[in-house]
Amino acid sequence: MSVFVEIDHVDRVFPLPNGSSYVALKNIELKIKQGEFISLIGHSGCGKSTLLNIVAGLDKASRGGVILEGRQVTRPGPDRMVVFQNYSLLPWLTVYENIALAVDEVMKHLPKGDRKSIVQHHIDLVGLRQAVKKRPGELSGGMKQRVAIARALAIRPKLLLLDEPFGALDALTRGGLQEQLMKICEESHVTCIMVTHDVDEALLLSDRVVMLTNGPESHIGQILQVPIPRPRSRMEVVKHPSYYTMRNEIIYFLNQQKRDKKRKATQKVVIPRQGLEKVTLDIGFIPLTDCAPLVVAKEKGFFKKHGFEEVNLCRETSWNAIASGIATKRIDAAQMVAGMPLAMTIGMGENQPLPIVTSLVLSRNGNAITLSKRFYEQGVRTLSDFKKVIAQTQDRVYTLGVVHSSSMHNLMLRYWLASGGIDPDRDVNLIVIPPQQMVASLKAEKIDGYCVGEPWNSLAVNEDLGFVIATDLDIWPGNPDKVLGVSEDWVNQHPQTHIALIKALLEACQYCDEPRNREEILQLLCQPQYVGSAPESIRPGFIDPYNRGTGEAPQLLQRFNQFHLDNTNCPGRVEGLWLLTQLARWGITPFPKNWIEILERVRRVDLYGEAARQLRLSDLEPDRDPFKLFDGMVFNPDDPMGYLQRLDIRHEIQVKEIILDAAKTLQKAMS
Amino acid sequence: MTARTARRPKSNKLPKFLTTFLQDKLAIIAPPLIAIAVFMVIWQLLCPPGSKGLPGPLQVLGETWDPYIIYPLFDNGGTDKGLGLQIFASLQRVGIGFSLASLAGIGLGILIGTNKVIYRALDPLFQVLRTIPPLAWLPISLAAFQQSNPSAIFVIFITSIWPIIINTTVGVQQIPQDYRNVAKVLRLSRQKYFLKILIPAAVPYIFTGLRIGIGLSWLAIIAAEMLVGGVGIGFFIWDAYNNSLLSQIILALVYVGVVGFLLDRIVSFAASKVVAEEQK
Repeated sequence: MSVFVEIDHVDRVFPLPNGSSYVALKNIELKIKQGEFISLIGHSGCGKSTLLNIVAGLDKASRGGVILEGRQVTRPGPDRMVVFQNYSLLPWLTVYENIALAVDEVMKHLPKGDRKSIVQHHIDLVGLRQAVKKRPGELSGGMKQRVAIARALAIRPKLLLLDEPFGALDALTRGGLQEQLMKICEESHVTCIMVTHDVDEALLLSDRVVMLTNGPESHIGQILQVPIPRPRSRMEVVKHPSYYTMRNEIIYFLNQQKRDKKRKATQKVVIPRQGLEKVTLDIGFIPLTDCAPLVVAKEKGFFKKHGFEEVNLCRETSWNAIASGIATKRIDAAQMVAGMPLAMTIGMGENQPLPIVTSLVLSRNGNAITLSKRFYEQGVRTLSDFKKVIAQTQDRVYTLGVVHSSSMHNLMLRYWLASGGIDPDRDVNLIVIPPQQMVASLKAEKIDGYCVGEPWNSLAVNEDLGFVIATDLDIWPGNPDKVLGVSEDWVNQHPQTHIALIKALLEACQYCDEPRNREEILQLLCQPQYVGSAPESIRPGFIDPYNRGTGEAPQLLQRFNQFHLDNTNCPGRVEGLWLLTQLARWGITPFPKNWIEILERVRRVDLYGEAARQLRLSDLEPDRDPFKLFDGMVFNPDDPMGYLQRLDIRHEIQVKEIILDAAKTLQKAMS
Repeated sequence: MTARTARRPKSNKLPKFLTTFLQDKLAIIAPPLIAIAVFMVIWQLLCPPGSKGLPGPLQVLGETWDPYIIYPLFDNGGTDKGLGLQIFASLQRVGIGFSLASLAGIGLGILIGTNKVIYRALDPLFQVLRTIPPLAWLPISLAAFQQSNPSAIFVIFITSIWPIIINTTVGVQQIPQDYRNVAKVLRLSRQKYFLKILIPAAVPYIFTGLRIGIGLSWLAIIAAEMLVGGVGIGFFIWDAYNNSLLSQIILALVYVGVVGFLLDRIVSFAASKVVAEEQK
């Protein structure tokens, strides 16, 4: 794919008179091919026109930029001609003079006669020969827009930018002009970006429809491919089998955004006070190497530095205890497994939806799949060996332990098994056991293997009970593992505290990824109130080479415990969407029809960005690019349902609209 | 006696003058004429012939009929000239002063309107200067020019330039962003931007400034001429006052009013020809 225009991570921040600033656009990344027709759609105020102006060069991006044919756009120019919303014809010039003004200026090098015939040709193209000598004041809206289009096309722009070109026209005129524009664009192979409000217009004209979320921090919510073959006609496109599916998808997106806008409008705004709303916090954690950032934040004074007087780290017995602790408000915040905030928000099991916010990923990787040493003795070295053993012993169902059904361990173990043709619900038995009981259960032969974080794999290896058949670096390097989770209500009541908490932990994460600090952190983790295990089971992977217990020489795994580097901490929405697909795949939660809304509310990139900016760290979210795990199956963030359909081993996928504020409205009605 | 002679031409000529218009424009013409007539009657009643103080309209007409009304262009040398010549002399001064003010005002206005720094530097100064009454400039201009005619012209100039500058500045600043964007996208040369966008877009504002300016200069010239003397309608009024010729003053006032009105109309007529339909 040759990229013609690249909108490269564009931010647009407007300074406000009171000294603060308004982030209109956040991290817009879009690559456009030559000849492509792109529509930008979204509610008013989402920054569509601002984005168009940035591409035109009329406005400047606060960060990032626009690259046209390998060169950065620095100022407006005729290669990016704009058809303005209100035509912008000069009222003192006739139709001919308006177009001639553009042609004469841009095509100075041509002889006069040629320029004249270009003007004439384009007036004929839009069918305005009879109005050549008229001034704009004497023309109807449709005719004016035709003049504006003729003016834009006459100077042969590389890129045509249209800002709601047909917004002010009646339906009949609009229809005719749309077809005319389409025809002209197809003939002259011009690349177009159009801002519009009109769903049908977007579908008729575009190759891709880019849907922008509401401001502030407006970003690309979804991109819809329009695979209707060209040439298109207005009457024919509606007959395309997927027309109404696509139309519904866009309208559903817009409705989600509308609901979100309403919610934000009614939300009580807490006036930021000087200082924090709460200075003593109870934070839940599970004894794992991954809890290092929390321990470091407390022991190395990062909590103190950011204004907390006392932070109690509450060692919890299981992930379920953490979930209920947050739900019952027993603890303020907690280390959570990656899928937990999403699962709780959707309403896992019988639970009511409880919006949980995660604005920080605490760690990536750090997990492994351990199987009982017996399998090793049977010659199991790979996934396919394991499948063979299962097939051979039909009479026995092997039991594998996971820590929580919404945890990355469960999702990854299942993904790993399924990609090897093992149905995790039929061919094996998966049970939930808290991490610290895994080794004991393996020893007691209650389970035959498990997927868990360290030190519980290394402990089994050290005690010669099991071997590591795969680490998560083998399956999905850089997977989100532990996140910071707080309830949305808590965030709304303690906005400053929340940001301070993110900042403290972000600095702690930074500290944890400094290799020279690792020995010190190891000492902290070994204390009984934290992980409390022997240093030699924490060391592998964390400091020392990783020993899989297979007799091979231990291997140095660079990124086994990743706390900060490589944009670890950003709770990106694309990986969130992947988690949603997997939760739905195994029937843990339904797949939310309003997945964009769910992701926007749970994975708060904006709050992460705010904290990161205050610490002068990068606040960039990873791009919305497709990615794949070890088996090569491509996950496209614009087509989650398609991805789910392509996975063979899965449950029946339930799609359900999750109404998050229903419970709240009910409470209000009752009180 | 004088009253009787004055009545005759009035009753003979006016109906003739009216009949040409009566057919089509009666509805527009009649009300102001009636208003004038009523005003005249009231005036005549308030100032009957023979009363002291102000003369009535009939008396005015009688006293000024010969030579001021029927011979507007007589010239007896010195300042003893017909009202037409007096007005012409005043108009000449206004013409020179106002033309200079227009040229300088539009030029300065465009400069200030296009350059923010210059705007910030000069705008407060202009806001103060424009409030200075025209006559306050006269002594300093007399001191500077040492001659009465250039001083009067300078007063015209300095009076009418402020509204022209300020309106032109606003006009240039108010050029719709859309037109500027068009110019930016097309990368119009400075010269073309100036001629095709800036000037046409600012023209309605410029003409507003010119209209205010011409009004003010006509106001100022009368006062200035009263003080500097010489031929001119202002001095004519002053001279008549010194000789207690109240009727002449009143007639001169009518002339001054009509000429001021015509000047305003001429400028606004010019504006209507120049400004495009959509900008109004």
